[in-house]
Amino acid sequence: MNDPLKQLSEDTPRQRFVLAETGFNEVPKKYRKFYRRWQGSGDTLALNEVLCPVCRVVIRSSREIRPGDRVYCMPCMSRLVVIRSATGHLEARVAY
Amino acid sequence: MPDFLTAYSIQNWLESCPQGYLEQTQYGHAAGESEASIVLDSPKLRDQAIQSTVQLVVGERCALAASSGLINAAPDEGSKRFLATQTLDEARHVEVFTQRLLDLGVRKTELEPLIKEHANPHLVAFAEVLLEKIDKGDFVAGVVGQNIVLEGMAFTVFEMLYATNVEMNPKFAHTLSGTIADERRHVGFGENRIGSLIKEHPEKKAEIERMQKEMSFHMLATFADSFRESAPAIMEAQGILRGTNGTQAGASESRWQGRSLSTLAPEEMESLLADSVLKEFKIRLTRIGLDYQTPVAP
Repeated sequence: MNDPLKQLSEDTPRQRFVLAETGFNEVPKKYRKFYRRWQGSGDTLALNEVLCPVCRVVIRSSREIRPGDRVYCMPCMSRLVVIRSATGHLEARVAY
Repeated sequence: MPDFLTAYSIQNWLESCPQGYLEQTQYGHAAGESEASIVLDSPKLRDQAIQSTVQLVVGERCALAASSGLINAAPDEGSKRFLATQTLDEARHVEVFTQRLLDLGVRKTELEPLIKEHANPHLVAFAEVLLEKIDKGDFVAGVVGQNIVLEGMAFTVFEMLYATNVEMNPKFAHTLSGTIADERRHVGFGENRIGSLIKEHPEKKAEIERMQKEMSFHMLATFADSFRESAPAIMEAQGILRGTNGTQAGASESRWQGRSLSTLAPEEMESLLADSVLKEFKIRLTRIGLDYQTPVAP
């Protein structure tokens, strides 16, 4: 039997996103659009975003982020791997 | 050298920090900004601002001594270069918070006696626990104490202070936003460097966990003293934020960790800060393979 979730993740093309400046200024200029400040408990993450657990900056991609993706948090220089948590949300884990 | 250490370059620091978020700042804030008049005009708020800024100077002097002391103990060139940038960051923090004391009306000749008189003894003890490890050249314990415990505490304290001041005192909030950006790099280095080193030195775990427990106790005792002494000023500031005394009617609500800082009692604020810092310690230490030790309640 095919896993419908697996089927979806492999067959569905990733959504693309146009990244605009967010006012984040803690990295060199050409990388600034890939980050934004986390606004706290009322904030929500888009499909192309994941929260860095080390420094609490939101990492943004020009395409939809999925479990297994590797991302880099330039503000704290952490390498991260995206996983799906028990609650179903995407989370980043630090790769030491 | 592990390849992630190549990110810890002076060039990267230059582009991010002095040529980035600190560009065109003076002592960490925009030129021409001054302390809010509500702080300068109220003896209670001014005294509280001086007291809390003294603790920031004491904490940052400890961080400066620790990060510079760790350079020679670092086992690789990437870590040495990162710690050199961190040393300058910490020296800048000492300078901007010392400048704030002057901006609050403290005379230059009064600075050192004032800092000596008002430095919280538990914060001094917190620093001594850390600096003892660094004096022994213990890099792993030193980085955990400095970049995870001290910086983890500073990161959370600065975030709370930022939320408190962003409406009431934008000049100080701007100074804090630059230090928060610096702390991101410092905690990132602590986690990433120790996350790999602790696997190579499992024999050091017990000693480092004892250090964390002792530092955490002194941190909680510092929080307890600070919030108890600041309670009247906190309540006056909350009155201003709520607009109830007519000084700044309509100021928007300051929120942090989902709670309204304008309505929490001082002891509730202390509890929120302590819980937030200890929770962060536990998460960060667990991630790098250390067991968090619950401190004795002060």
